[in-house]
Amino acid sequence: MLKFLARSTALAAMLAASSLAAHAETLKMWGPEQITEPLVAQLWNGIKADFEKSNPGVTVEFMPPTGTISNGAVQAAIQSDAGPDVILTNSGIGRISVVKNAKQVMPLTEQYEKRGWKDQIYPWLYTELKGQFGGEIYEVPDGLDALGIWYHKDLFAQAGWKIPASWSEFEALMKSIEETGLQPIAIGPRTPGSAGHLFGNLLQSASGKEVIGKALRREIAWDDPSVAAGAIRLQKLVEAGDIKKEMAGLDLDGASRLWFNKRAAMFVAGPWFTANARKAGYDLTNAGYAPMPSDIKGAAMPTGGVGWSWLVPVNSKQPELAMKWIDFMLSDAVMKKRAQDPASTMIYPREIAGVEPPTPVLKDIFAAATGGVGYNPSVYLPGTVLDTYFQVIQGLISGQIGGEEGMKQIQAKMAEAK
Amino acid sequence: MAIPETSGSKVVAPLRDAPAVAGHTGGLSARMSKRRTARSASPDGDAGTAFWLMAPALGLYAVFTLLPIAATFWLSFNSSAGFNTSASFVGFGNYAKAAHDPIVWKSLAHTFVWLAYHVVMAGGLGLLLALAVSRLRITQVFFRTAFFLPHLVSLAVVGVIWANIYDPFFGLMNTALTRIGLGAFTQGWLSDPALVLFSVNLASSWQGFGLYMLLFIAGLQNIDRSLYDAAEVDGANSFQKLIHVTLPGLREVTTFVVSLAMINGLKGFATVFVMTNGGPFYQSELITTYIYRLAFQSQDHGLAAVLCILLSLLAIAITIVFNRWRARLSQ
Repeated sequence: MLKFLARSTALAAMLAASSLAAHAETLKMWGPEQITEPLVAQLWNGIKADFEKSNPGVTVEFMPPTGTISNGAVQAAIQSDAGPDVILTNSGIGRISVVKNAKQVMPLTEQYEKRGWKDQIYPWLYTELKGQFGGEIYEVPDGLDALGIWYHKDLFAQAGWKIPASWSEFEALMKSIEETGLQPIAIGPRTPGSAGHLFGNLLQSASGKEVIGKALRREIAWDDPSVAAGAIRLQKLVEAGDIKKEMAGLDLDGASRLWFNKRAAMFVAGPWFTANARKAGYDLTNAGYAPMPSDIKGAAMPTGGVGWSWLVPVNSKQPELAMKWIDFMLSDAVMKKRAQDPASTMIYPREIAGVEPPTPVLKDIFAAATGGVGYNPSVYLPGTVLDTYFQVIQGLISGQIGGEEGMKQIQAKMAEAK
Repeated sequence: MAIPETSGSKVVAPLRDAPAVAGHTGGLSARMSKRRTARSASPDGDAGTAFWLMAPALGLYAVFTLLPIAATFWLSFNSSAGFNTSASFVGFGNYAKAAHDPIVWKSLAHTFVWLAYHVVMAGGLGLLLALAVSRLRITQVFFRTAFFLPHLVSLAVVGVIWANIYDPFFGLMNTALTRIGLGAFTQGWLSDPALVLFSVNLASSWQGFGLYMLLFIAGLQNIDRSLYDAAEVDGANSFQKLIHVTLPGLREVTTFVVSLAMINGLKGFATVFVMTNGGPFYQSELITTYIYRLAFQSQDHGLAAVLCILLSLLAIAITIVFNRWRARLSQ
C-alpha cells in the first residue's frame, strides 16, 4: 500500500511538473529606456505583474535596454537572434523604415483589424500610419511627442520675461537673456534627438506646418527658400551669438545640465523631459512650457509625431504572446494606470477621459498639443537621410555651413532615398 | 650474404643488398627495416599527425576569420539592406559609390591624421614618461603604476570621462584654464572643427600611453650601462647621452612601439563613437566609425563591406611600408 502511494505521488508530481513546463512561457521585452529609475521601474513592474496574473504560466522578462534604432542597438539585438520578443523603442517613420527595409520587424496591419487596435488609437494617427508604407503598418504607437520650449518660471518671473507670440519678439527676448550672461537656449546636437528638437521647431516656426509636411512628402524641395528659412534662422542665431558654437560639442545630457543648472534660460524638449528633470532633482513645478513663437498664423504649435512604438521582431520566439502584450498595453486599465502615474512622461495614442496629468508641466504640454502637433522631421525623414540631417544641424551650429548649403545637402539625400 | 649482427644493444644495420632470411635473425632484420622505413618516412607521418592536431584550430580559423573575410568580399559586390534580406548583385556598384562619397574621402584623411596623432602623442608621451620615471629611485614603482592605470580603463569609459572634461560650460579643461587666468585659451574642444580630432585623440592617447611607457622602460633597462660610463668619460652631457646612447639603444623597442601604436591607431573607434559620433559635421569621422554608421545605423552593408576592405588594404599597405622602413633602419 505504502509502495502504491509513493508511486502515485511521484507520478502525480511528474504530471504536474510536465503540465507546468508545457504552459511556461517567457516573453522577453525591451522596455522603456528609464526603467532603471525607481519610479519608472515601479510602474513597469506593476504592469508586468498584472500581465503575468492575467496570463498564468507566463513570465515577462525585461531585457536591459541598451539603445535605440538611431544608434543601431535595436537592429543588433534583432540580428543576434537572442533578442527580445517585443520591443518598445523610439520610432517614427524614419526609424521604422530602417528596420522595415532590413525586414527585421513583422508587419502588423492584419492585427490592427483582427485585434481592434485601429479603434484604440486616434483615427488621424491610424490614417497617418496607413499612409506610411503603402498601407502596411509595422508599429503600434505607445506615445506621441510634443516638442516645445521649456523655461524656468522663476527666472522669467524675476526678469519680467515671457515667451512672446511673434518670432521678432522672440529674437529680442533671446538678446535680452544673453545680455544677462545666461545662455538664451541650450542644445546638445551631438545627440541626434536633441539636434532635431530645436531644428524642427525652427523649421516649423519659419515655414509653418503645411510647408514642412509638403517637404516631408517630397512635394517641395528641402532647399526651396520656403523650407530653408528655418535653417537660415538657425545660422543667424549662431552668428548673433544667441546659440553658442561650443554647443555643437554637447549631447542631450550636457545641454540638459546647462538648463537644469539655470545657466540656460530655455530648452526644447517634449513631455519625456519630465523624467530627465526628475533624475536631475529639478523642481518640476518651476518648469514652464510654450510652443516656439511664429509670425505665421497657426504655426506656433509643438512639433512632434509618433515618439515611441511597439515592434515585433521577425525572429520573435513568442509572437502570439507579443501581440497579447500589445493588447494589454492598449487596454483602458493599463493606459489609465500609466497616464495617472507620476512616472508618466508622454502623450498617449488615444484620448483618456477623466485623467489628470501627474505634473503641472505635463498639463501645459497637453494643453498646447490639443490643437494637434506639427512635424518633427527627425521622426518623419527616411532613415538614410537622417544622418545627413543631424550632421547638417551640427554644421550649422558649429558655423561650418550656411543654411542654404545645409538644406541642399539634405535635399540631395532626399533625392537618393527610396 | 650478410647477416645482421647484434653487439650488446647496438644494432648493426644489414647491407643494402641483403636478402630477407627466415627465422629470428631475419625477423629482427625485418623489424629494424620497418623502423628505418618509418623513420625515413617520418616527414609524411608527422605532417599527417600535425594536420589532425591543427584541425580544430584550422576549423576555427576558417569559420571565424576566413569565412567572414569571404563574406565581406561577397557583401561588397551586393546591395543589401540588412542581414535578413536577399542581397542583389551590383558588381562594382558599391565601389563606385564609395569612390563618389565625399565622407569616405574625408574619413580616410581623418584616419591618417588620427594615426599620426596617436603615434606621436601616445608613443611620444610614453617615451618621455619612461625617460622621466626611469630616473626615479624610490618612487618609480608608484609612478609606473599610476601612469599605467588609465590603460586598464575601457576606451568607452575614457570617452565619457573626457567628454565631461571637455564640456565647454562645466568641464575641467575650460574651468581650469579660466581659474589660472588663461581664460583666453578656453575652447570648444569637441565643437571646433580644427580641434576635435586632436581633442578626441588626446583622450585615446591618454588611455594608451601607459603601455608604451612600460615597453620603453623595459628597453631602457636593457641598455648596457658601460655605454653611459664610456660617454661620461668622453665628456658627454645628459642631452648628448640621450641622443647618442639612449635613443639608439631604444631603436628596437621604438619600432615595436610605433608598430603597436599604428595598429591601435587604425583600430580607433570607441572614443570617437562615444565623444563625437563622428561630428561635428563629419569632422571626426574615421573609416571605422563610418563603417559602423553604414552597417548598423543605415543598414547599408554593401558599402560598409567596401570600406572594411579599404581599411584592410590600408593596414596591409602600412605594414609593408613600415616593415621596409624597419628593415632599412636595422641595416
